[in-house]
Amino acid sequence: MAKFASDEWATLVKDEVNKSSVYKSAAKGWKWTVGLVIEAEPDKNFPESRGVVMDLFDGEARDIRVGPASDAQKCDFVITAPYSRWKQVGKKELDATKGMLQGKLKLKGDLPTIVRYTKSSQELTDCTTRFPVEWPDEK
Amino acid sequence: MHDPVSGRMARRKVKAAPKGPGLVDYASKEASAFAEMLGGLIEANVLANPEKQKDFDTLVARVGIWVTDIDEGVTLVFDGGRLTVYNGLEPRRTITIHAEAETVMSLSNLKIGLLGLPVYYNDVGRGVALKLLQGKLKIDGLVPNIATLNRVTRIVSVQ
Repeated sequence: MAKFASDEWATLVKDEVNKSSVYKSAAKGWKWTVGLVIEAEPDKNFPESRGVVMDLFDGEARDIRVGPASDAQKCDFVITAPYSRWKQVGKKELDATKGMLQGKLKLKGDLPTIVRYTKSSQELTDCTTRFPVEWPDEK
Repeated sequence: MHDPVSGRMARRKVKAAPKGPGLVDYASKEASAFAEMLGGLIEANVLANPEKQKDFDTLVARVGIWVTDIDEGVTLVFDGGRLTVYNGLEPRRTITIHAEAETVMSLSNLKIGLLGLPVYYNDVGRGVALKLLQGKLKIDGLVPNIATLNRVTRIVSVQ
């Protein structure tokens, strides 16, 4: 089991993305970086904001790494939400597309591009739900 | 007009609050995330594409979009080169689309083919047509306003 937003978690996400034929075909032509900002929630045992930087290119995850939130904020597309929202996404309690339409996940980046790649972003999110995760507030 | 009286409204505010000199205004000071997303999408599309700009400049219509699985919607009021986005459904809509979030995204992904008509014979188009047949996509006011719907689809489509 990988701890949420750890290096091991990032590796598992990358493996899942690269295993996904759905992602490979839906993300053909994608050439932008994606940053996930996980905002701190100290009362949920997630004391510091973290960033996930995803280097995605043409249906492949070239690199996914966890670091400071500021790194993720520099990406071409940035999705920001508090820890508990990401946990809902990771547990399939919140659909990422709906979350963005509702403003539960805040998106920064070129809207026509992200809409064009809705299916790939959906699959990318799904990849984060396909392995067991240790959530810091469930320890 | 298919709906001369007020429809469902979500967080409706009455006074217009223009957001800068762009093509799109938001009726509410606190535009919903969905309103901002759709307004932003249309603005980006129109600014990047002269064909869409032509449609945008001549379109006069009040289009409601209600996303059934998040229980939120917007009204897009096109007024010949200006768009005002309202939170919720406003009265006197020309067309109202009711669909799940995924279908709304698919509508924005419809390819535009010959004669500027949406393509319904590729994967995305077939998916949209199927939702229409299954009643998962409902379009009030469709029959008398097909030309308007096609024009709105051209403006919203990112393809």
